[in-house]
Amino acid sequence: MNPTLTIAALTIKEAVRRRLLLAFVAITVVIAGLSAWGFDRLSNTHSLTSGESHLAVPDALILFMFMFSFVLALSASAIASPSISAEIESGVLMTVVTRPIRRMEVLLGKWLGLAALLAGYAAAVCALEFGVVRWVSGFLPPSPVLASVYLFAEGALLLTLSLFLSTLMPAIAAGVIAVAVFGAGWLAGVVGTLGTSLDIAGLRTVGHVGRLLLPTDGLWHAAIYYLQPPSVVSEQLAGGGRANPFYAQAAPSSLYLLWVACWFLIVLIAAVASFERREL
Amino acid sequence: MSRTNSAERTTIDGAEPSTTDAAGWPSDDAGSPSPSRFPRTPASPAIHAVGLSKHFGGTIAVNSLSMTVERGEVFGFLGPNGAGKTTVVKLLLGLARPTGGEALVLGAPLGDRETRRQIGYLPELFRFQALLTAREVLRLHCRLLALPKDAWEDEARSALETVGLLARGDDRVGTFSKGMQQRLGLGVALLGNPTLVVLDEPTSALDPVGRHDVREIIRGLRERGSTVFLNTHLLEEAEHVCDRVAVIDKGTAVATGSLDELLGRGSRVRLKVGGLGEPGWRTLGRFGRCQAGDGWVVVEGLEPSRIPDLVDALVALGGRVEAVIPEQQSLEARFLELLSER
Repeated sequence: MNPTLTIAALTIKEAVRRRLLLAFVAITVVIAGLSAWGFDRLSNTHSLTSGESHLAVPDALILFMFMFSFVLALSASAIASPSISAEIESGVLMTVVTRPIRRMEVLLGKWLGLAALLAGYAAAVCALEFGVVRWVSGFLPPSPVLASVYLFAEGALLLTLSLFLSTLMPAIAAGVIAVAVFGAGWLAGVVGTLGTSLDIAGLRTVGHVGRLLLPTDGLWHAAIYYLQPPSVVSEQLAGGGRANPFYAQAAPSSLYLLWVACWFLIVLIAAVASFERREL
Repeated sequence: MSRTNSAERTTIDGAEPSTTDAAGWPSDDAGSPSPSRFPRTPASPAIHAVGLSKHFGGTIAVNSLSMTVERGEVFGFLGPNGAGKTTVVKLLLGLARPTGGEALVLGAPLGDRETRRQIGYLPELFRFQALLTAREVLRLHCRLLALPKDAWEDEARSALETVGLLARGDDRVGTFSKGMQQRLGLGVALLGNPTLVVLDEPTSALDPVGRHDVREIIRGLRERGSTVFLNTHLLEEAEHVCDRVAVIDKGTAVATGSLDELLGRGSRVRLKVGGLGEPGWRTLGRFGRCQAGDGWVVVEGLEPSRIPDLVDALVALGGRVEAVIPEQQSLEARFLELLSER
């Protein structure tokens, strides 16, 4: 087996034995159960008209997925932050990197293993939640697969950043910085939305720059776009848009997606270079 | 015994520096020919370091270290705590980057990827994947060594048997004591019949039985032709198994040689002789430096092979030789002496 795949398989095996997946599944099932109750109340309440209910369910789903995107991103950071630094500190990596394996293969193997775990988790949660909402309310997002892919990409982006930081500093510092940067990126997106709504160029620029430096918010908005029913988008466009961080006016442009791909590549290359230089 | 001096340490015999990548590490390409003047042949020494240095900011961890470890020998690397022993090991294995000098391991530049296939390493800080079983850890390393898949089970079983963990092979490493983890580390280092085995303080967590087992394993490695680089501060350990040793202090080798050379074994003999006249004393003087006291005579600087000649000469001169005791300095005494000389 290719050394990168060997490390990836090892990463997944360790995560499974650490009962990480079990914990994720348990939390997800509980949350999905609670959300089923909530969506049922929302769909079948008598205080809302059927039209209001049709609008409220997608909004609630977006809010739910926003919470989930946070869980996904924080989970990604939590599993990636210690993956290099903690193994250096404990000495586990000493016998691995002295084998005929490139450090690049170790790092990419870990990235691949963690990304696979994240993808599995994202796919399972999205499938469960979309299924629950469809079952309870009849609503299914217009592009559930694309929405899931962007939610995963958002988490994978933070995973990549955390892995890079893990080659530079202790796990706790890497985790804290990654989460802080993620929060700042989201906040920059909110500021940008306000800037667009209030037509303040400076605030708009903050949003744009934030989405370039850390594209998590850009990917979150891409996910939102594919979670919204087309009628909501048309309505919002007709109304000139609103200062709402839970609304996306358009799908991400090809250029932006190209930048996101470059961002992944740049940070992964930086992580490899940093790990290659690191003395153990 | 050869005393390493600064002139020797800084002489590099015109050797070219190794190829390095942009990060300053050796080229990672498999089988890349060594650009050094040191030939990469089976006959090249297991380890050859010239002027190897490592500075951490203003702290000098390794200071122009020169040494050669021949193939097939058990080489003890001795020194007090903080002498730079582990740093040297890390440099030799490509875990850290030297700030000066050059070294070849099995004829290849430091950190050469293909050469790592022939090296077994037990780190001082031995930790393994706690959630894997011992057998799984060994299989993982078989895989990383690219050993044929059908050999994994035999390799793992043999390693477990050698280090006395066969009964615990299917238990998770996380349940192991520190000593058992060190045994597992030794088993990992033995996989794939390595040409060079680097053991960094291999008995630090072991009980006397375990230490005895490690010595037997080291002797077994020597018998099958492997080179063992034994990094230790336990002089008794070195005395038991090493063919040659280097004593390192403050990052530099203060003495290198066989134990006989290092200890001056046989160079000192204590005699109890009666009936010696003036000619007898003159004869003793021809064999070495003499000191007399308490009815005993100590002759220093005498090769062991010349002791019978000395006795014959004394008897021929009418001396009554009552006792002949070849003396040797303990490694500990010599070690302390070497360190105090600095």
